[in-house]
Amino acid sequence: MRRAKIRPLILPGVLALAIIALAVAAPILPLTDPVRQDVASRLTGPSALHWLGQDEYGRDVLSRIIWGARVSLSVAFAAAAAAAVAGTLLGLLGGYFRGVVELLTVRASEIVLCFPPLLLALLVVTLLGPGAATLVLSLAILFAPGFARVAYAETLSARALDYVTAQQALGAPTARILARTLLPNIAPPLIVQFSLTVAAAMLLESGLSFLGLGVVPPSPSWGLMIRGARSAMEQAPLLLFWPCLALTGTVLVLNLFCDRLRDALDPRGRASGKPGFLGRVLALPPAPQTPATPALLSVEGLTLQVPGPKGPVTVVRDVGFTLAPGETLAIVGESGSGKTLTGLAIMGLLPAAVRPVAGRIMLAGRDGTPRDLLRLPEPELRAMRGRDMAMIFQDPSSSLNPLLRVGAQVGESLRAHGVTDGIRDRVVTLLRQVGLPDPERAAVAYPHELSGGQRQRAMIAAAIANHPRLLLADEPTTALDVTVQAQILTLLAELKRAEGGMGMVFVTHNLAVVAEIADRVAVMYAGEVVEEGPAAEVFAAPRHPYTAALIESTPEGDAERLSAIPGAVPQPWAMPSGCRFAPRCAMAEPACTAAAPAMEETGPRRAARCRRWKEVA
Amino acid sequence: MLAFVARRLVISVGLVWAVASLVFLVIHLIPGDPAELLLSQGGIAPDPAAVEELRERLGLNLPLWQQYVSYLGGLLQGDFGLALQDDHPIVDEIALRLPRTLELVGMAGLISVVFGVPLGVAAALRAGGALDRVFSAAAGLALSIPVFVVGTLTVLVLAQQLKLVPAGGYVPFARDPARHMLLLMMPAGTIAVGLGAVVFRVMRSSVLEVLEREHVRAAQARGVAPATIIRRHVLRNALTPVVTVVALHLGSLLGGTVLVEFVFNWPGLSGYLVRSVEARDYPEVMGIVLVISALFVLLNFLVDLLYAVIDPRVRHG
Repeated sequence: MRRAKIRPLILPGVLALAIIALAVAAPILPLTDPVRQDVASRLTGPSALHWLGQDEYGRDVLSRIIWGARVSLSVAFAAAAAAAVAGTLLGLLGGYFRGVVELLTVRASEIVLCFPPLLLALLVVTLLGPGAATLVLSLAILFAPGFARVAYAETLSARALDYVTAQQALGAPTARILARTLLPNIAPPLIVQFSLTVAAAMLLESGLSFLGLGVVPPSPSWGLMIRGARSAMEQAPLLLFWPCLALTGTVLVLNLFCDRLRDALDPRGRASGKPGFLGRVLALPPAPQTPATPALLSVEGLTLQVPGPKGPVTVVRDVGFTLAPGETLAIVGESGSGKTLTGLAIMGLLPAAVRPVAGRIMLAGRDGTPRDLLRLPEPELRAMRGRDMAMIFQDPSSSLNPLLRVGAQVGESLRAHGVTDGIRDRVVTLLRQVGLPDPERAAVAYPHELSGGQRQRAMIAAAIANHPRLLLADEPTTALDVTVQAQILTLLAELKRAEGGMGMVFVTHNLAVVAEIADRVAVMYAGEVVEEGPAAEVFAAPRHPYTAALIESTPEGDAERLSAIPGAVPQPWAMPSGCRFAPRCAMAEPACTAAAPAMEETGPRRAARCRRWKEVA
Repeated sequence: MLAFVARRLVISVGLVWAVASLVFLVIHLIPGDPAELLLSQGGIAPDPAAVEELRERLGLNLPLWQQYVSYLGGLLQGDFGLALQDDHPIVDEIALRLPRTLELVGMAGLISVVFGVPLGVAAALRAGGALDRVFSAAAGLALSIPVFVVGTLTVLVLAQQLKLVPAGGYVPFARDPARHMLLLMMPAGTIAVGLGAVVFRVMRSSVLEVLEREHVRAAQARGVAPATIIRRHVLRNALTPVVTVVALHLGSLLGGTVLVEFVFNWPGLSGYLVRSVEARDYPEVMGIVLVISALFVLLNFLVDLLYAVIDPRVRHG
């Protein structure tokens, strides 16, 4: 765990330890006997001898609060510990063995969850009579299924891991695997569950004691003290205040500790300082006006950053390419090369953490005027989304809202851009245009009633509803079957012909797809474009070692994993100085690591980011 | 949809039967004789003749299966047996008190949703902002205050010190509607402090999660206005976990209003349960536990129907 993650734990941790220490130290503190009565001075206010005053029997309130902490905490900890041991064992066995064992352990314990918790505790108290032992038992029964669930879920995911399988293959005894290998791995969520349970047990214990069904008088317990103070509330309201404060404060500290602990143990970490949904911020100052390029889309020097623990991390750097009307540009690269972020930046739909810090994205809209999308105010940009430029996404099953009819979602595109009449008919026409077999039925269907390919067709219908000038497709066929992939590619090609002049940016890792549909290609590596040019030329004669390796290493055209190139893509926060591909490049020489190479023109509308491009091929 | 309802209904009836059997078994299989347990006080062994007489009266001397059959037969006719303490039919007392508890729980749920859902949405949409931080901290505090502390302090401040409201009690709606509502709002509001905080938290995190989903981004890519996206693509999708959590909590409140009913002197089902537990009147305890559990099952059935209304996949699944 990193230090930044531990820091928020310090305050609630220290407070919790202080409370526990006070409770443990109660016998050695110079306190009055918490059960010694002094009826003569009952309900007296604070004095030098009794700092918080005396209760309805003249007992010292401060002493009873501290001794009460002892009772409340020991009951809560004992119950939580018992529940943790029993529940973890059940969950571990159920998750490891599955089948009948799972039924007898995890599922059986879940019966308890069918009863309201307080009701179950009362039932146990009826059967066994009140008292601390009963309390611990009933709370343990209540909380054990929670542990069983957590342990079960964690065991399920941990048992499939390689080192567990390896131990099984080596013939290690089951008990040893469970105790030595699985238990330590599932411990973090159980620790969170434990601190949660302690807080919940304190609440229930005090509640039952308050009802007179928990801790038996005259033992001091916060619940009992509140019960006692209630009757004397008119004469001595402060008497009520102290135990309430102690109880609430302790539970609050425990809950806070628990929240922070969960954040610290969560591997994804806390999404800190994330601006809300309504907070798209424009980070860029206006750029100097340059004469408009004849292109449909021109991206220049696009640089994107995300905040990191040690300052901003550049995830996309100096990316540029151009697209003429009617052209298809493929952006190719491995996972993490920045190709998807580049696509989202064009739409102005970057995740909140990613900020554009430099560059321009010029798009000639339907009216022919080029605008810089990076500097356009959100309302104007929104007016362009779905009208001048549209996007289709990777997974059609998650990019359609499962709760809305398909037709309603396609119609949204029209409605958002001012169409009010005849939406229903136009939706059906659109769905027919994208080749859905029964467009009337598809319009009233829910997304789950369509196949994956049909859903993607519906997404395409929504995208082309307003005849956009630019269609962005982010891996639109990756989630589909191979046969369906081909159909979708054919459909996109047909649509492009039908919508005269529509340009397309196709983000993919699949070189076979690129060869099939793209006029131009931009190859991305580690957040940079390393080569750009006409697709046919780039494939025939690559001018960058990475492109060459890419083409060579992927006979099936799938570049998601590149086993043929030694090494791995560098992480954004640990970029090599100089050429980013140099550490994996067979042609690298000392000069390559000295300075970052610039994009060099290698031919008409062709460029590569390599010092030695002339020697490639 | 009809097949879905029918299937859920069958499962629910089965669950009620299972709960009834479980309650029966728990009472009869615990070590020790219920009659003896009932009559023993403070560790003094009861008079054997009295125990025998009680066993006779309760039918405890019959074979277990006969007791089980007559128990289930009674339940089917709405007969929960007689209370041990006063021979009063248990079902009458339950019928009198159950509506009051349901009213209390329903009102508490309503207040929680009315405040928790909009605030949760507002906090999520401005996550990390001042409003979000204030409300999240307040929710954390609200979750840490035990319900009886809220109740007791409410009585202390509003009733005892400021003398704005009565300290508790119950008046039938027909006799004095205004006073009835006033007396209802205090315990309901007290429960809603914690429950509202739960609803707020769940709604907030649910909205945050839905906002990250791909279909929201797809709607943005179509140029849909933010207000429309929130209404059409976020709220309804975010509601499912809230429904689950509210139902779960309302369910546990059915038997868990004990503390609030005690503090505000609200004569509901829970107070009756505590009295029965104190008196160890086990036919009463059995009857009440059974009714509450059956309601719990009914609630889950209604929640399943609600899921089906919200999510078409559930209807067809």
